[in-house]
Amino acid sequence: MNKSTNRESVESEASRPTFREHYKFNIWLAVTTATYLVTLYLVQHFQEWAPLLKVTVSLLPVLPGLLYLRKGLLLLRQMDELQKRIQLEAWFFAAIGTVIVSTVINVFNAHGLIWETFPHGLEIGGAYLLMFFLWTLGVAFSSRRYQ
Amino acid sequence: MKNKLRELRAVRAWSQSDLAEKLGVSRQTINAIETEKYDPSLPLAFKIGRLFKQPIEAIFEV
Repeated sequence: MNKSTNRESVESEASRPTFREHYKFNIWLAVTTATYLVTLYLVQHFQEWAPLLKVTVSLLPVLPGLLYLRKGLLLLRQMDELQKRIQLEAWFFAAIGTVIVSTVINVFNAHGLIWETFPHGLEIGGAYLLMFFLWTLGVAFSSRRYQ
Repeated sequence: MKNKLRELRAVRAWSQSDLAEKLGVSRQTINAIETEKYDPSLPLAFKIGRLFKQPIEAIFEV
């Protein structure tokens, strides 16, 4: 069989979300992150605020976060079955990997071997970053497997 | 899973991209099926069968 029929130079984007859709999806991640940083700054610099106000402000990033989630689900629905499988494997890798790393750090901390970088474990921001990093690795590994 | 997808595609002089577009999947999916790295779902296998006007068992071999 001619090798050129196997590897085509032009990629089909028929069943893949477009760049614009990916862009719109990632915009919500950027908005969520920016909102989180702003609220973190506000809560830390206005200690005199009432607890209820602090909670309300702290939870503001949840709103763009929910829109990010919605966009992500819409994007996932547009993918074909192989892309969905790649995403599933990547998310599984990211979720389990984050749990394992968090557990290891917590075990070290519990036995007094505290890493200066993580005196209180990964915390929420660290867990997000680690999960995102592992998801990127997962997508790369999984995509390579089906190349 | 062994299959005749590449042969059937070559007979019609379709590229992987052409076939992907007709089936509504990505080119990566077509390549993964042809290289036997990925087994299609039953709905996709039926779609392939309908497109090539052949029963599934004539295209895919367990």
